[in-house]
Amino acid sequence: MKKINKKEITLLLLSSILFLGLGIAAMIKDTTPDWTYYQAEFRQIISENFGSVDLNSIPHGIQQIWIKELNSSDRCITCHQGIGWKGLENVEHPYRTHPNPELFTNHPIEKFGCTICHGGQGLALTEYDAHGFVKHWEEPLLGKTIGTEYDPRNPPTLGEIKCNFCHRYERETAGMELINHGKKLVREKACKVCHVINGDGGSLGPDLTHEGEKHAEGFDFSNFATEQTTILNWHINHFQTPNNVVPSTIMPEMNFQTKDAVALSMLVMSWRDNSELPLEYVPGLNRKDIQTAEEVEEERQIREGDGAFFVENSCFICHSIKGFNIKSPTEKGPDLSYAPDDVRARFSRDLEDFIFEPTGTMKIIFESQIQLSDEQKWEAIEKIRKAYNIVTNKSDEDTQVKKHN
Amino acid sequence: MSLTPKTSLWDKLVWSWKPESNREAGSSIVSNFLLHWFPNRVTLKSLAFSYSLYLGTITFALFLILTLSGIVLMFLYVPSVERAYWSIKDIDFAVSFGWLLRRTHRIAAHLMVAMVFLHMFRVFLTGSYKKGSAEGSKRPFNWILGVSLLVLTLLLSFTGYLLPWDQLAFWAITVGTSIAGAVPFIGEQMRQFLLGGTIIGQNTLIRFYVLHVAFLPLILFGVSIWHMWRIRKDGGLAVVEQIREEAAESPPDLPRKTKTYSILGIAKGTTVHVKEPSLLNKNNSVPSSPFLTFRTLTIVLLTLIFTIGLALIIPAPLEEAANPEVTPNPAKAPWYFLGLQELVGYSALIGGVIIPGLVIFGLGLIPFLDKEQKYIGRWFTNSAGRKWSIFGAIWGFVFSFVCMGIGVSMPVRELFPGIESQFFFDIVNPATLLLLTFVALYYLVLRITGSTRLAATATFSGFIVSFILLTYMGTALRGPNWDFYWPWQSWPEHPIQF
Repeated sequence: MKKINKKEITLLLLSSILFLGLGIAAMIKDTTPDWTYYQAEFRQIISENFGSVDLNSIPHGIQQIWIKELNSSDRCITCHQGIGWKGLENVEHPYRTHPNPELFTNHPIEKFGCTICHGGQGLALTEYDAHGFVKHWEEPLLGKTIGTEYDPRNPPTLGEIKCNFCHRYERETAGMELINHGKKLVREKACKVCHVINGDGGSLGPDLTHEGEKHAEGFDFSNFATEQTTILNWHINHFQTPNNVVPSTIMPEMNFQTKDAVALSMLVMSWRDNSELPLEYVPGLNRKDIQTAEEVEEERQIREGDGAFFVENSCFICHSIKGFNIKSPTEKGPDLSYAPDDVRARFSRDLEDFIFEPTGTMKIIFESQIQLSDEQKWEAIEKIRKAYNIVTNKSDEDTQVKKHN
Repeated sequence: MSLTPKTSLWDKLVWSWKPESNREAGSSIVSNFLLHWFPNRVTLKSLAFSYSLYLGTITFALFLILTLSGIVLMFLYVPSVERAYWSIKDIDFAVSFGWLLRRTHRIAAHLMVAMVFLHMFRVFLTGSYKKGSAEGSKRPFNWILGVSLLVLTLLLSFTGYLLPWDQLAFWAITVGTSIAGAVPFIGEQMRQFLLGGTIIGQNTLIRFYVLHVAFLPLILFGVSIWHMWRIRKDGGLAVVEQIREEAAESPPDLPRKTKTYSILGIAKGTTVHVKEPSLLNKNNSVPSSPFLTFRTLTIVLLTLIFTIGLALIIPAPLEEAANPEVTPNPAKAPWYFLGLQELVGYSALIGGVIIPGLVIFGLGLIPFLDKEQKYIGRWFTNSAGRKWSIFGAIWGFVFSFVCMGIGVSMPVRELFPGIESQFFFDIVNPATLLLLTFVALYYLVLRITGSTRLAATATFSGFIVSFILLTYMGTALRGPNWDFYWPWQSWPEHPIQF
């Protein structure tokens, strides 16, 4: 019988070994991601700095902040484990405490995550991918690294672009120096004369409401002299010398300083479509029903003066108080201006007596929905008598409140 | 060593079976259901690397790799326009071995398309589509099964291309389906049938998904089983014909049939072996077990190593999430369609419809145009075949070059500035020229040699060269706006946000 060629057997043997080797290589690659190193280092740092902390309480494995409303999952905290800790302000990245912990008051991390403010690729788990300086990820981490590419000595705080994604309707926002400056310039230079911004303005120039959504393909770089073909650079150049970038433009040259141009460029790039954001994430929006001038005036009146007490404590829901021009929307109960007479007629009791020891519906109301302190009850009695005097044309002195002792 | 059952655990683990007689070797085929696939004995010529290059085996091994990795990916992928892209990101970043699965699946898919093409080239160039003289041989039919497997493979790859739902996917499918839209009269209906609407959306995604994970793989699996079963029914690989020819020249000492029975009631008809004396003897053949099983194992293992090795090195790209409002420049179809896309650049009708239609139709027709029953199973037929093959390759090279040259340097529309008719430019363009040169090549060689096989060999060699050149052109030399760039010229840098 013929035998299989020795060479062929060797080939099979070698390829089996190679296959095993590839399997091991794949396993090593999969089980030793960068973050395991960072998490081990973090534990080391914690045990050095805070000896008493139980290391087992530090989370390990892939960590993420999932925010349903924003449809985001940020895994940054897998490596940046120290951001919420106090006392790691001076250790190196990625273990450092967040440099502005005060921001967490209004931007709790469990409601915002990381990337909505910082940019970057939240799903990724390697530094290169996560910081987003990769091809095909359009929102890199807007930090110092990228700022220094525009001005190495005084890098612009490009991160403000992200802030203004939500804060765009505010006139001014604490901590957003460049964007605030840009907003001021937009008002001073009256950009809205030619451009629609946030829904209104002139039609001579293009609508800028969603300028930040415009893709690189939408910009003409053919007249661009500099090497840095980025949208931000296009805007900076265009603000300073519109004609050099778009020769046919009618946009006037405004003699902007570099800082102005950078601020304005950042501002227009921040104008993105945030309509999918839940409303609670967008400050500066008027989310109330629209009222007519008369309605606003009426509401102002009843909220001022002596009648305000009955409005604040919800008495006016059932009772009108003619003496203070307050009209109840329901008129379920009698007008409080006539209460002193009313109470006497119906219950044969004094007003003071009734307020402190009510019967019927008022007993239930005072025990549940409207709970007044003794001082408030005296204030009510005093104000009811005042209204009574107004409607019965008596002076205050005639009906001085007699306090029970 | 005998075939007695192994009892100790050690024996079971290190079980290696060395048949000590032909009878034992034959018994192993009978006693193992899967090994029924193989014949009892296999000729040394069939077993030779240099003949088949095992391209079919490699293709099927790749299909198995794709099936296995694909099934796991189905647990991880969500076919919805909101989730598809992000589920791929998760597979890449967070799922254990997700990155390897996806890379392996992608590499294996590209390799399978390439291998199907190479396998077809091999079968043509060795004349293996010819009927030959074996009893009951229907090799021409098996060639048609092969052509349909090529189409199925392309469809599988194409439907899978959309699933990551990134810019690459979205626009490759946009380009690919708009080629379908260029078919006269029914093009737009066809396009909408493919897309499930007028634009690529959720309907398209779910259509492509179901086609990709269930419909097409099942059909492809069925047809490929049929394809392989037919090889047995056709009397083995075509190279066996050579043994038959030799046997015919010198009559065997003792003609004898190896089988005198057929499997009544189970299979219709009889096998080759019942009808004619066996050609196999100790000198020209070996038992399939262990020779062919061993060889198959080696090939499958090497395929696995090559695929996974590449997957470890080459990351699977994932571009930006699909955005119908932003067209990448250039927008390109998958690589195996880029030769066509280059031709579509000259004329959508000729390049996108007529030529691919003729290629598929022409491929199917080959065994019926060339019925010469000589030189079966020989690479390039004979020495004349080799010469005409080189002639055809040069012809294909020159005219593809000329055609692309005209396409780049002399836009036909500028040559005829007075004419506005679209029909005129659908007829007069470099793609038509290329098509005509191939028709001319076929008839030229046929006239000189009087042989349909030689004419077909020359034309096919030209087709291979042209296919490679056009694909290279569409892949590497076409930049933004489908402008031509030399390999040493860099494309204009794509602007970014920051």
